Amino acid sequence: MGPETKNGTAVITNIQGFSLHDGPGIRTVVFFKGCPLFCHWCANPECRSGKPQMGFIRTLCTGCGKCLEVCPEQAIRGEGEHRIDRSRCTACGLCSEQCHYGALVRYGEAMTVDDVMDAVRRDRMFYADSGGGVTVSGGEPLLSAQFVRELFERIRNEQINTCVETCGMGSPEVLLQLIPVTDHFLFDLKLMDDDAHSRYTGCSNRQILHNAALVAGRGADVLFRQPLVPGVNDSSGNIEATARFLRSLGGNAARLQIMPFHGMGVSKYRALDLPYTMEGVASADDKHVEAVRQAYLSCGIDCTVSR
Amino acid sequence: MAEVDTELLNRIDKLQLGERNQRWKKAMKASGWKLFADREKWTVASWRETEGEDIQIRRALLFKKIVENVEIRIHDYDLIVGRATPGVIGCATSIDVCGDYIPDIWKDTAELRITMDANVGLDPESLEILRTSAKTFGGRTAPEMTYRKWEALVGSWMKDAEAAKLKDPTLDTAIFGQTTSVLMWQKILGKGLGSFIEEARGHLAAGETDVDKVNFWKSAIIVCEAAMNHAHRYGALAREMAENEARPERKKELLQIASACEHVPEHPARTFHEALQSMAIIGVCKLYEHPMHNNPQWGRGDQYLYPYFMRDIANGTITLEKAAELLAELIGRWGTQTFVASESLKESHQINFGINNIMVGGLDASGADRSNELSYLFLHVVGLLQLSSPTVGLRWNRKTPLWLMRKAIQTNMVTKGGIPLFENDEVVISRFVEDGIPMEEAAEWCGLGCVYPCLPTRAEHYGAEGIAACNLAAMLHLVLHNGVDINGKRTGLETGDPRNFSSFDELYDALMKQHQFITHRSFRLAAVAREEQHKYVRLPFLSTVGIQRCMDLGQDLLIPDPESSMFGISDRAIIDVADSLMAIKKLVFDEKKLMMDELLAALDSDFAGKRGEEIRQMCLAQPKFGNDIDEVDRLAGKISEDSYAVIRSYDNSPFRNYMVAREGLAWHYFGGLGAGALPNGRKALEPLNDGSVSPMRGADRNGPTAVLRSALKAGFKESHASVLNQKFSSAILRSSESIDKLVAYTNAFMSNGGSHIQYNMVDTNELKDAKIHPEEHRDLIVRIGGFSAYFTQLSPDIQDDVINRNEHAL
Repeated sequence: MGPETKNGTAVITNIQGFSLHDGPGIRTVVFFKGCPLFCHWCANPECRSGKPQMGFIRTLCTGCGKCLEVCPEQAIRGEGEHRIDRSRCTACGLCSEQCHYGALVRYGEAMTVDDVMDAVRRDRMFYADSGGGVTVSGGEPLLSAQFVRELFERIRNEQINTCVETCGMGSPEVLLQLIPVTDHFLFDLKLMDDDAHSRYTGCSNRQILHNAALVAGRGADVLFRQPLVPGVNDSSGNIEATARFLRSLGGNAARLQIMPFHGMGVSKYRALDLPYTMEGVASADDKHVEAVRQAYLSCGIDCTVSR
Repeated sequence: MAEVDTELLNRIDKLQLGERNQRWKKAMKASGWKLFADREKWTVASWRETEGEDIQIRRALLFKKIVENVEIRIHDYDLIVGRATPGVIGCATSIDVCGDYIPDIWKDTAELRITMDANVGLDPESLEILRTSAKTFGGRTAPEMTYRKWEALVGSWMKDAEAAKLKDPTLDTAIFGQTTSVLMWQKILGKGLGSFIEEARGHLAAGETDVDKVNFWKSAIIVCEAAMNHAHRYGALAREMAENEARPERKKELLQIASACEHVPEHPARTFHEALQSMAIIGVCKLYEHPMHNNPQWGRGDQYLYPYFMRDIANGTITLEKAAELLAELIGRWGTQTFVASESLKESHQINFGINNIMVGGLDASGADRSNELSYLFLHVVGLLQLSSPTVGLRWNRKTPLWLMRKAIQTNMVTKGGIPLFENDEVVISRFVEDGIPMEEAAEWCGLGCVYPCLPTRAEHYGAEGIAACNLAAMLHLVLHNGVDINGKRTGLETGDPRNFSSFDELYDALMKQHQFITHRSFRLAAVAREEQHKYVRLPFLSTVGIQRCMDLGQDLLIPDPESSMFGISDRAIIDVADSLMAIKKLVFDEKKLMMDELLAALDSDFAGKRGEEIRQMCLAQPKFGNDIDEVDRLAGKISEDSYAVIRSYDNSPFRNYMVAREGLAWHYFGGLGAGALPNGRKALEPLNDGSVSPMRGADRNGPTAVLRSALKAGFKESHASVLNQKFSSAILRSSESIDKLVAYTNAFMSNGGSHIQYNMVDTNELKDAKIHPEEHRDLIVRIGGFSAYFTQLSPDIQDDVINRNEHAL
């Protein structure tokens, strides 16, 4: 489950500039590969595994056969429609280098802190004017805490703002290490009922709730967020329980940002040959989102919606 | 400057489109296009009467004949009168200026194609008028006579160069000096046309003996009196209508119209209403003098009209609602005036309406920012109107207040794109000042129709002079074919067989030699044009109300004036060429993956066959501008500098040197027709990159900030304007938080030296659907270069172009 880090590298799937919804201002988001949870609604399935993976986008494939020629593992089957034999593929990426049509994508690249610094430093001028900075996300950045800490120390030395976007699953020690170098936390609270949490994410929420209290208790700037998944966590029971928990944290923690579920991740599941259990589940519509927001407001939670 | 009245801004935010404006919009949409031949009838009548007169007087009398006789009408929703055609929208022709320029009139036709997609109904009587006019003027107009001169000098070269899209069509676009520039609005509103007449009389009374000067001042008096009479005709018509009007409210309005038209433009405007009425009459007279490509321009309307607006609001002469309604009325009218364009103008511009520009905000000569409440109202009103024209530009500078920037981004969201665009005030002013223009003049710059910065105080000799772009992509095509153009003609210099080039530098030098040959020859022919065309046409009204120096010198603006004339040119396709040269450098010279011969064969076959497609993919995979890759970004910067050097090396003495301004328009579509397949991977005849520094379509893979970093690194400091279009999805820009982020984004780019940026906020799915179901998306506006247009009115390949442009995920 853990990400493959060696020699001070982390596996990064993407570094995305001009992100407007991941903390204050204009930010660059660094997506780490590897996550301890396994949420059904996950929109970034390529960030679950900690190892590089190949994605195959069928609609872009012209069947030219170049990839078959270069694959050292004979992992691509080419009679008729191409497909990747996942048992053989080592995600070496040779095929994607040869694919002119962008049908083969390598998710995950081992990067050093220097590499990431070079990428995030480029957008400095946009951070300064907008109050933005760098957000680490994923996947779960806490799995690469050592790397993140080193990265953040250097980023802060350059007077750039830092933010951690986390599912909250990790050891408290790791979290405590990051608090001094982190300006903002975006902390997910998916479900309050432990059984339901285990069912939908593959993991108990006890550690997560403990960590939430820990971060809030240390006075860190934290914004709790909740993916709003229809039929999963939009019951009045979960809303009330979440609100109760947030209020119990005191301070400025009684805030929640809702992130409405959408099915846009499905194409990535297909590209990775992964089953998608949310097939056919409609995106949360505006009316429903607003109703949930109102419910939170009436529970005394300062609730906003991320678009 | 006083503190802005924030309470007034809040009230402006709440304004809706006025009921009168809505009635107009409805009538306009229902009306369709109608050809208006009446103007042409009076040109012929006048020309017959004035045979033998001096050209200056003759054109003044022609103007007088038109404005004193042409059919006028007041519509029920009008509070401001004066439109170019009696119908709500209509098109006029410029046969007296351009000659026999509408081939369709010689066919047995009931329709004229006036723009890319619009036809106009034509009755037999109107057709006969147009034919008579073409017979009267055809063959003896400025463009036609100039082409003859050119032919004597270089044979068919100019026509061949235009056919190969090496440069834009020139003469038959009918653009003369100053036609899309800004009039002396402050003087017109503040002193009235009466003062212009007095000034001319003063010159005459001083005993001038130069007959040309005398004739100019006489012509100035004729046209000013005629324009006043035009207003008086409206005044009389309004009084007559008021007498027969049963509704007391409308009767009152008609009397108000009458009293305004009896007073302005002859006298100084007393109110905001009169100021707009004065502008409307002057604007329509400008069009009557020469309808094609001569639309009235707002310029810095937020400055000229500000004292009238604030005084009337403060003393209660007008309500804010009424002021907004009046402003919307004239913005709407000027934004929807059209004309029968020449064939080449249709192809190169792809717009249905006369170019129309509003500038808001910006510095004054003392370095203070002049953004005001009226700037804010202008933005709000264009947001309410939802029209593709006018173009609105915000003169961004470090002192531009946050409240105006926020309103500007909000207006972009409301209009779904590009309104307003942002131009860097500091960059433009410093470019002018570096070129020896006094600060007082430089600070008053305006977009010339679109983004091309010009000075309202000076005649801009473009068109025949070659603002019309020179096409670096077509020049590269010449280099790759040893001087032979896309049509197989040897229009270029023989720079050698590229297969024999031993280094990248040799190739690069050949391109610059080719550039110099084409561009300098165009400049030489432009000089011929400007010495020739004023023999056949003058624009006394435009000269008198447009440029003080014309009045002072006693000289029409079409006569070149070494002291003040400006010359601009737009060297285009720099990014296409940078990406292409980069690919050749890598594949042929550095990495030797391809022989030049093989590459050229692939280009000539338009990447045909399996190998051709492979080569195309290799080309596409080379470093592309817009991804913050040093090597190619710096190459783009070098081409920009060297192209500027080529242009500036032309000795235009005794005139000012050519200035460079890289505008946008829909030129990339037109320019693409001049180049076969290019080594950047673009296929033959496909559109080039849009704007002038936008990355290749789909090639900017590192997000919008990487595009800006590439642009800043390349610099483009030589140019007064460099058009960068960025397309964002509108869906994400809902919250006020996003507004502030986009404000910061714009500020960051501009304060680091960016010269222009324009946002296209359109949802891709909506565009795709609009292509299939145009009838459901008639309101959809997209921006192309410095212009906006209705999406459904673009030709299909341009639609695809808009759809394909990489949509930056926010």
